[in-house]
Amino acid sequence: MSRPEALAAYEALPLPDTSEEHWRFTDLAGFDPDTRTYPGGQTPAMSEGAMVDLDVAGFATVTAEGITIERAPEGITFAPLPEDHERLYSLVGWDEKFAAHNAAMWTNGLLVVVPKGVVLEKPLYVRISATGRTFWRLVVVAEEGARASLVEEYASPAPDTAGYSNAVTELFVEPNAKLEYVSLQNLSTETWHFASHHARVERDAELDWVAGGFGSKRGKTRIQNDLNGRGATSRVTGAYFADGEQHLDYDTFQEHIAPDCTSDFAFKGALRDHATAVWRGMIRVEKDAQKTNAYQECRNLMLSPTTHAVPIPGLEILANDVRCTHGATVGRVDREQLFYLMARGLPRYEAERLIVRGFFQEVLDRIELEPVRDAVTAALEARIPQA
Amino acid sequence: MCGAKAPVFLAKGTYLVALLKLESLHVALEDGTEIVKGVDLEVGLDEVHAIMGPNGSGKSTLSYAIMGHPAYAITEGRIVFDGEDVTEMGADERAQRGLFLAFQYPHAIPGVTVTNFLRSAINAVRKARSGKDDPMPIPEFRKELLGQMDRLKVSRELASRYLNDGFSGGEKKRVEILQMAMLKPRIAVLDETDSGLDIDALRVVASGVNELVGPEMGALVITHYQRILDYITPDHVHVFVGGRIVESGGPELAKKLEAGGYAPYEEVLA
Repeated sequence: MSRPEALAAYEALPLPDTSEEHWRFTDLAGFDPDTRTYPGGQTPAMSEGAMVDLDVAGFATVTAEGITIERAPEGITFAPLPEDHERLYSLVGWDEKFAAHNAAMWTNGLLVVVPKGVVLEKPLYVRISATGRTFWRLVVVAEEGARASLVEEYASPAPDTAGYSNAVTELFVEPNAKLEYVSLQNLSTETWHFASHHARVERDAELDWVAGGFGSKRGKTRIQNDLNGRGATSRVTGAYFADGEQHLDYDTFQEHIAPDCTSDFAFKGALRDHATAVWRGMIRVEKDAQKTNAYQECRNLMLSPTTHAVPIPGLEILANDVRCTHGATVGRVDREQLFYLMARGLPRYEAERLIVRGFFQEVLDRIELEPVRDAVTAALEARIPQA
Repeated sequence: MCGAKAPVFLAKGTYLVALLKLESLHVALEDGTEIVKGVDLEVGLDEVHAIMGPNGSGKSTLSYAIMGHPAYAITEGRIVFDGEDVTEMGADERAQRGLFLAFQYPHAIPGVTVTNFLRSAINAVRKARSGKDDPMPIPEFRKELLGQMDRLKVSRELASRYLNDGFSGGEKKRVEILQMAMLKPRIAVLDETDSGLDIDALRVVASGVNELVGPEMGALVITHYQRILDYITPDHVHVFVGGRIVESGGPELAKKLEAGGYAPYEEVLA
């Protein structure tokens, strides 16, 4: 592949519009990916104020100007991503408008390789500061038997920073490896955000993924897991909260290729004001993927009557001995629950807070890294209005 | 209407009149249907009043309206608590002043543990009363909670479960009384607390109520059946039919109802 090829692909592909099924609920009117008029300005390094309070083994910051490896552990690769890395584009190519744009334009990427059998006790952390147009690319390879955790945080220098963020992640979890991947999107509500995160999980390997969606104006986050080797497991836990005029869009794809694999995707989201969210989940079980155990759910809580959530689960099953289940709901804070709590002396906002906190508890309980769980909890709580 | 009980003098020397007063209370549903059609009632500390009525008489509506449920509109009359008109207040403000409702059907709050909920509620009440954050120290809270749980024979394991989520009927009712014991209200309204309880559970729940009724608390027991009144002896019994109190008397009135039922009252109204 070459940059000009990717650019040509990008230019040939039209900007998706709502006539396409996958973009039916996400209108990109008013967005021009080619505009260069976003304010540039100085980007703070933001090594201070990270969302998750962690004792990390490696820390990198990414800005429009470049990538800075502030600390890298010994024995693993934690370095700028070379343009000719062999794994690049093998999971996310340039057959889709935004993926192509990333392939053509990315400059500051990160490569993480955890060699065979290496167990990294402390997590790795990368913080992306999005200003102007930010094309970010991440490749992670957890080699056979390796274990590692990586936290990726998207942030804006200011709550009103306007911008276009385009992210691509390719994760390779080799046989018997375990990777924890945490992706927290906390961009300004004036930033368009398009992301394609794609993981391939090999034999007896385990992927444990946390997706937090708190910021951004509008866009789409695609999450794909390929269960590619017998006995592979992937678990994706999503929590999102949108308010104001925000619109969040998740497109998840559980691709079961090999037999005896498990995938378990659980998303919960709360919406306030005029916020909207769409979640489209697809479980596809290929014909050889017998004994697949796949689950997907997306539950939404509307905190204002003017919000709108569209969860769309989907199944496509070509094998005949599988277990696939799903759930999708949109609910409101129940008036009777609210009255019950208020009848015990809790002011309305505190009662609502408890109910919302309770709603998310199930997904919070799935987050294994305690500091990450605390950070996601805090990010959610910060969004529930006070009195 | 509330019998001849003499005014109570508290040890502290506070002169006490009825703490909860319903004055000519009318309550309607959201569609305008009037359910409670003029109730006058006074409940003081150290008193147990029983409101007995058949299904559909408006008992639960009355209890919800006393607590301030937004679906029940007070169309006429008022509710006075400790000398203050609380008719327009939200349920939270009423609770903070010391009013409590034990629900007939307690709601489940998934994801919120009994402990977390109780601590939040107690601290909200303390904050409202003192005007500033004044959380109960955790060791004190814990000691109090475990003590009350043991007293009410509530399994300690329930403390870390989600409130009413998957609880049996009996567990829910015990946890209602546990909440009452923890929040220490001044007037407790018990809405059909006996329904769904076996005799052993009823004994425990009733003794929990009896221990709290005294100079610090009065109770209004709302029930269809006389059974609970075998365990919680009322000072006053009110027969509630068609949205009104049609007769008031002493504990003997409950026995009379048990024998004769509500039919004679309903016939008069019809």
